[in-house]
Amino acid sequence: MIRFLLKGLLRDRSRSSFPVLIVSAGVMLTVFLHAWLNGTILNVTQSTAQFKTGYVNVMTKAYAARADQIPNDLALLGVDTLLASLKQQFPDLLWAPRIMFGGLLDIPDEKGETKEQTPVSGLGVDLFSPNSPEWTILNIRSALVRGHLPEKQGELLIADELAQRLNIQPGQKATLISSTMYGSMALENFTIAGMLRFGVGPMDRSAVIADLSDIRQALDMQNGAGEILGFFRDNLYHEERANAITAEFNAEYPSNDPENGAGKFSPIMETLRTQSGLSEVLDIMAVYMRIIIGVFVFAMSVVLWNAGLTGSLRRYGEFGLRLAVGENKGHVYRSLIVESLAVGVAGSCIGTAIGLAFSYYLQVHGIDISGAMPKENAMMIPDVVRAQIEPATFVIGFLPGILATFFGSAIAGIGMYKRQTAQLFKELET
Amino acid sequence: MMQTRTQKSEVRSQIKVSSQIFRALVPLWLILPPLLHSQTPTGDEILKKVDENMFSESKITVLHMIIHGERGSRTLEAKSWQRGTSESFTEYLAPPRDAGTKMLKLQDRLWTYSPSTDRTILISGHMLRQSMMGSDLSYEDMMEDPHLPHLYTAKISGEGNLNGRPCWVLDLSAKKEDISYYSRKVWVDKMRYVLLKENLYAKSGKLLKTMDIREVAEVQHRWVAKSILYKDVLKEGEGTEFVVDALALDVVIPDYIFSKAALKK
Amino acid sequence: MLTLKLALRNIVGAGIRTWLNVVALSLSFVIIIFMQGLYNGMNDQVERATIDALYGGGQYWQKLYDPYDPLSLTDAHAVVPANIESLMTNNEATPILIRQATIYPEGHFRSILLKGIDPNQHVLTLPSFLLNEHRNLKGDGSIPALIGTRMAKSVGLQKGDEITVQWRDVHGTFDARDMKIVEVMKTPVQEIDNDQIWISLDRIQELTSMPGQATMVVLKQKVKDQKSEATFKNVPGWNFKNLEFLLADIHALVKQKTIGASILYTILLFLALLAIFDTQVLSIFRRKKEIGTLMALGMTRAKIIRLFTIEGAFHAFLAAIVAALYGIPLLVYIARTGIALPASYDTMGYAFGEKLLPAYSAGLMIGTTLLVLLSTTVVSFLPTRRIARLKPTDALRGRLS
Repeated sequence: MIRFLLKGLLRDRSRSSFPVLIVSAGVMLTVFLHAWLNGTILNVTQSTAQFKTGYVNVMTKAYAARADQIPNDLALLGVDTLLASLKQQFPDLLWAPRIMFGGLLDIPDEKGETKEQTPVSGLGVDLFSPNSPEWTILNIRSALVRGHLPEKQGELLIADELAQRLNIQPGQKATLISSTMYGSMALENFTIAGMLRFGVGPMDRSAVIADLSDIRQALDMQNGAGEILGFFRDNLYHEERANAITAEFNAEYPSNDPENGAGKFSPIMETLRTQSGLSEVLDIMAVYMRIIIGVFVFAMSVVLWNAGLTGSLRRYGEFGLRLAVGENKGHVYRSLIVESLAVGVAGSCIGTAIGLAFSYYLQVHGIDISGAMPKENAMMIPDVVRAQIEPATFVIGFLPGILATFFGSAIAGIGMYKRQTAQLFKELET
Repeated sequence: MMQTRTQKSEVRSQIKVSSQIFRALVPLWLILPPLLHSQTPTGDEILKKVDENMFSESKITVLHMIIHGERGSRTLEAKSWQRGTSESFTEYLAPPRDAGTKMLKLQDRLWTYSPSTDRTILISGHMLRQSMMGSDLSYEDMMEDPHLPHLYTAKISGEGNLNGRPCWVLDLSAKKEDISYYSRKVWVDKMRYVLLKENLYAKSGKLLKTMDIREVAEVQHRWVAKSILYKDVLKEGEGTEFVVDALALDVVIPDYIFSKAALKK
Repeated sequence: MLTLKLALRNIVGAGIRTWLNVVALSLSFVIIIFMQGLYNGMNDQVERATIDALYGGGQYWQKLYDPYDPLSLTDAHAVVPANIESLMTNNEATPILIRQATIYPEGHFRSILLKGIDPNQHVLTLPSFLLNEHRNLKGDGSIPALIGTRMAKSVGLQKGDEITVQWRDVHGTFDARDMKIVEVMKTPVQEIDNDQIWISLDRIQELTSMPGQATMVVLKQKVKDQKSEATFKNVPGWNFKNLEFLLADIHALVKQKTIGASILYTILLFLALLAIFDTQVLSIFRRKKEIGTLMALGMTRAKIIRLFTIEGAFHAFLAAIVAALYGIPLLVYIARTGIALPASYDTMGYAFGEKLLPAYSAGLMIGTTLLVLLSTTVVSFLPTRRIARLKPTDALRGRLS
């Protein structure tokens, strides 16, 4: 019976390929929208991870409690050992030790006297280790506007806007004034290597980036780091995995275990979500996304339901004929439902497949929107809009795809019971 | 460095000698007070005497500073040359990281020099208010005019006993407006005219900082604080200890010490 | 004219099928406008809230004031010039005095901004009146203070708590007082929340010995347009910052997000096109005999194409009317009540209110309607091109060549 119906479907293009095409298109749009909205959230998480928190983040307990103040006196020490064990225990993540710091940047004149002095917020990242992940994570290469990238120690990258305000050029000397992790005054000379454009207002006004070893030297943090950031290799936030890693790590460093350097200086891991109020941002975005997806799925369902409905309404004449040759109404109705299910399943599968393929392409390659961005395109924030496929992306399309088509036909079919065979037969003429 | 060490030991021996005399005299002092104070001086008079006792026209100090931080304590050593109220030069001697860092104060300007950068940098207004080398003192606290009678009028608010020493308690209120601490309360040793304790208050009367002089010593016939605990009351922590290891008073200090050129030497 | 009449008759004749299509299509209209309105509303809301709470009709900054340089604050205060002060007495401007201060939550040093604002001001929505309600605290008691939710969370303070705040007066003399948090204000604007404490202007002026002084003066919205130019001349030592300058960061952010919005718009437009495309293709499939008949009766192919295209466009037109019928009341309702958001949240770049309030501009509505009409017409036309290749004889038999 199903084979017979399928044959019928395949031979009558208006009953098969076209409805399947419509359903596929609708499903594809739904799937793509879902993946793309996920991608929007992803952009927020990515830039937060990139500059602030990583996907997971190891700090001392005391540091974590006041992380928004960047308390470097509470920073992690003995980072090499910790880093090695993190790399070994969680090889699926990239680990990047960093030091954030505040201070003044002092630009000397020819005589070495202070010409300009301005507050800066700095980032010490590993620039020179072989395979340092920071180059890709921070997107430093493409953010360079002037000068060159640091090639040796003692070189500093500075936000272009800040550099312009201070009127400094690559190659110029500058002294960083800060305080060591123990509170002593810290002075360190740097050569300005190049200027970066971040695309984030506050960073463009005050950020400097130097190699971790230079900052460790300057702030007297030998083998120290404010934070060790963990990044998933695909640069996507996998919440469950992040939670699992965090639980596993924190179980090893219970808060009151003196063996592991107990108390406030023992390391603790947090996920992206638990830090910096981002959970609330993600929640709000999720709400926004749910509204959009919900409304869209509803509208798409109406369109597809309508397609199924009108498609079936047009077949009243055919039903009349079939009834006239002796088929009973139940049989006709059932065959209609089966047909619509077949169309729904086929359309949903094709649509989901195309939608996923398209989304996957955007997940890997993204749309480069830098051309559409104002001013220069060199920026640290992602100028590529990406999609992200989630488990839900696989099933979201089936909702309008199958159900709507099914209900469309089911409702249209009911009409058949309300009319006389002769009346239906007559519709064949119109 | 050699010179410093000899000076240090000289001054140390002075302190040693004076504290021996001090021990010998103690029993006598216990009897004397009632006789001496038949006539109570005014607060300003006491403050003036304190100033005369404690401050010399110039001095060279070798001291260490114990800073209690989040990660335990660390000790900084420094040698400082002072002349009058407006000139001072400090060189850090230890730990190795800070050794060679120098600070020069001339009037209300403060320069710092670090050997690693070979730069002399003027510490601007904002930085002056920061904690000095992680201590409970700001650079600005260090730069205050040390002559209390210049800044405050004093009233005796009571008498008391601190660390076994009878003392006057003076309430100090600011004479002029541009001053960091609007009022202070000081405990003055009745015999030695040395401060034993000092509380520093905000304009509102709120206690901000305390100074406890834990040990005094007599140097060149003056009683001076040898060990001080300085504490920012609003901040958590155990405060900062200053311990004078060596002190030479009324010494002739060559002019070049108080020049920017000396920073780079 | 005949084509129009015929198209109309066909559409009405199709009865329920037409209405189903029209309803489906109208839904796309409403949703496109709703989504875009939601999106614009989000952006508008940020801007509006920031203007209402802080920027007003622009700000006069004391010439030394630089919000990105904490060093500048020490000296960034001066007596407000007379012409600007006259605006203040009319409640058309309000001064704000900003001083650096220190708090010690749990014994840890933390630098904050202490801001003074007139509790009786009506220039900004910042709820300064709350400082007034608790005036009775004045005297020896603690100073009534106002903080935002982010600040409260970050330093662990609640309504009714007291905190010691330390600052320096104009002479550099230390002062410290206990302040009582009279209210934790929930504001979407981070600039009046993060790392700052608001107290009454007269208190801060008195405490810092800066009578009549301010760091900035905020104008009431639109005051600049209403007053003569002369009012704003002669403000030596003060720089005027207009809204364009103040909102630059927000605008940059919105610009970045616009690209995202256009992708959403495109997807939604596809939804509408899908609805009409489906109808159109099915009609041509099912109405071959009709097409054949029309041809046999002497109608040219071009006319038939026009007929079908017009029918498709009519669908969109009817949909626009239907959409207006139920859409406008619905959208207006949503715009008034807003879409409630979960109670606690914070944002990085964006400042949301407690609810999302969609904003529909006339441009958005008309533009969207025209765009949908135009694109549905194009989409209606596309499948009809097959008609051009149709032989009347085949068509009469119900075949597509």
